[in-house]
Amino acid sequence: MEPSSDLKDAVRELSEQSGHLFSVSPRPVTGTSLFVVHTDDQPFRPEYTVPSGVFGFRVPFNFPDAGPEDSFFIRPVEIKLRSPDPVRGSIELHRAAKVDGFVAESALGNVPVLIFSWHLWNKTPWNRRKHKLLDHYTHCIRRFELPEHDS
Amino acid sequence: MNRQLEGIAQFGGHLTDEVHLAADRRIWQQINDGLLAQAPNEACVFVLTRPSSGVIRTTAILGEVLWPEPGDVKSTPRRLEISADYISRVLDSATDAGPSVGICLVHTHPKSELGEGVAEFSPRDDWYERRLFPTLVVGRQNSIAASIVLGSSGDVNARVWWEGNGGVLTQDVHAVRIVGPELTIIETPSSCWTDHPDPLVMDRSTRLWGKEGRRRLQNLRAGIVGCGGTGSISIFALATMGIGKMLGWDKDIAAAQNRHRTAGITRDCVGKPKVIALKALAESVATAEPFEMKCWQDWGTTTEGLKRLKDCDIIFCCVDKFAPRVPLNDLAYAHLIPTLDMSSWIHFDGNKQVDALMTHAHVWSPGIPCAWCRETLSSRILIQEAQGNQRNIENRATYGMPMNETDGVEPSVLPLNMLGVSLALMQFMQVALKITDRTPRDLKFFLTNWELDESDRAIRPDCECISSIGAGDTLIIRPVTMD
Repeated sequence: MEPSSDLKDAVRELSEQSGHLFSVSPRPVTGTSLFVVHTDDQPFRPEYTVPSGVFGFRVPFNFPDAGPEDSFFIRPVEIKLRSPDPVRGSIELHRAAKVDGFVAESALGNVPVLIFSWHLWNKTPWNRRKHKLLDHYTHCIRRFELPEHDS
Repeated sequence: MNRQLEGIAQFGGHLTDEVHLAADRRIWQQINDGLLAQAPNEACVFVLTRPSSGVIRTTAILGEVLWPEPGDVKSTPRRLEISADYISRVLDSATDAGPSVGICLVHTHPKSELGEGVAEFSPRDDWYERRLFPTLVVGRQNSIAASIVLGSSGDVNARVWWEGNGGVLTQDVHAVRIVGPELTIIETPSSCWTDHPDPLVMDRSTRLWGKEGRRRLQNLRAGIVGCGGTGSISIFALATMGIGKMLGWDKDIAAAQNRHRTAGITRDCVGKPKVIALKALAESVATAEPFEMKCWQDWGTTTEGLKRLKDCDIIFCCVDKFAPRVPLNDLAYAHLIPTLDMSSWIHFDGNKQVDALMTHAHVWSPGIPCAWCRETLSSRILIQEAQGNQRNIENRATYGMPMNETDGVEPSVLPLNMLGVSLALMQFMQVALKITDRTPRDLKFFLTNWELDESDRAIRPDCECISSIGAGDTLIIRPVTMD
């Protein structure tokens, strides 16, 4: 299964509108019908030990009838906080979890990623005729920018 | 009824083997009420059309009704005069609506002192329309125009007009489909429907739905998407009931494991395409005469499959995934083809013990909430399905739980599937034959409660099942394959 022309067009449009070069995996993640959409040059929050890196999310084969997953991921997985967050007193990214197999078959290779899981589309449901990948990206970034102890 | 006339527009073109008109019931009612109220004078109105292009059938779907303003139409019991301003305004509306949008002229032959009005194009109608329709179709090659004449006793005649290589051509319409919660088909004088040659074999069921019902079943074309647990039983039942034309799709090869819950899979069929087995089953039990079943070993929701489904009068959605329901749901409303969706579902508790069984049957048709309104379909459900063996991986990940892979094989049992099909067949009788006053919404049978429940979900006011009704080929419907 290859990504549909709708998905490829949407990723191209996301690159143009976000200013970051996004790509879509040539095949779905093993055992799923989800394609990985990612960029290698996403700036991270200044509190992180790594200034920029991989940022992405997974999109069903039948996009835009189905919207992206309610989650996003970053790499490298070794990212920590520069100083402990004031609530937990820890430099770990408590909002994210390291997962294997999440981006298998993508250009990233079968590497672990840090997944941030949110209810991104719970207030305004995904509208297949209206919403774009940029809307999802904007949702992700807005949640990504929240303080570390938000959850 | 092809009459060869020379002139600006020619009679006798051939667009496709079958030509239909279709209308949302409310629009058809609005047109009829508005025009027949002006009896004994003739009356007319222009209506925008959108094409629905199948393989052997073209349908012009009636849409926005553009009523004349005072002074636009002068009418008597025998003739009409339409102002150039009205025609010009209608042309502007069609142009604004898009290149695929055509124009239909509807006029009446009402009851008058001369007697009942008959739905026949008069020589004056022919003369006038030959001169009018070139104005309406030239330069609009993607559109289908139409003209309809309404008689005073519900009879209808119609023809379509289009710009072909040989100029402006016309072809008689075979039937008009009026689609709401139920399906009404009005035959025109060009109808190619036939009666059963030996009606006695249908006697017991004819006593319920009458000769007209028998004739309708004999001539309906039903599409069955998916020939597995529910599709095979649907095919068996429809052929037995006297449906005359069936189209079936399934890509799977019959396996020995299918036999305990799939009709028609004999030992000899194992290893062969399911559709071959189901075609043989249907032909062996069919009571319609003539009977024809065509089948394709492919998904019904490919580009080709979706085009062929536009040839159908009614569709049975018997797929076992959510994703292909998206285009089938879209097709039902945009192309005015009532679709009966059915499925069964078995749920396990945390100890892997069955704690719930469910089967449902849901009519997708204008006036009834669609799969998105009912939330049979949602982006979340489609995402979960696409997640496959990683379902909810993102939720588990945040709490550090290990991934539990499932084998993805769900249970399926014949009685549950058969019950779902039976509910769908009861709905089919209602949609096709209107055996009661009301078509139900989604029906679900639940165990362990032994409860039959009708959904109380209403149509969502912002749902596409309202905005896309009758959009025809102007709505993009994405094919889905599950390879």
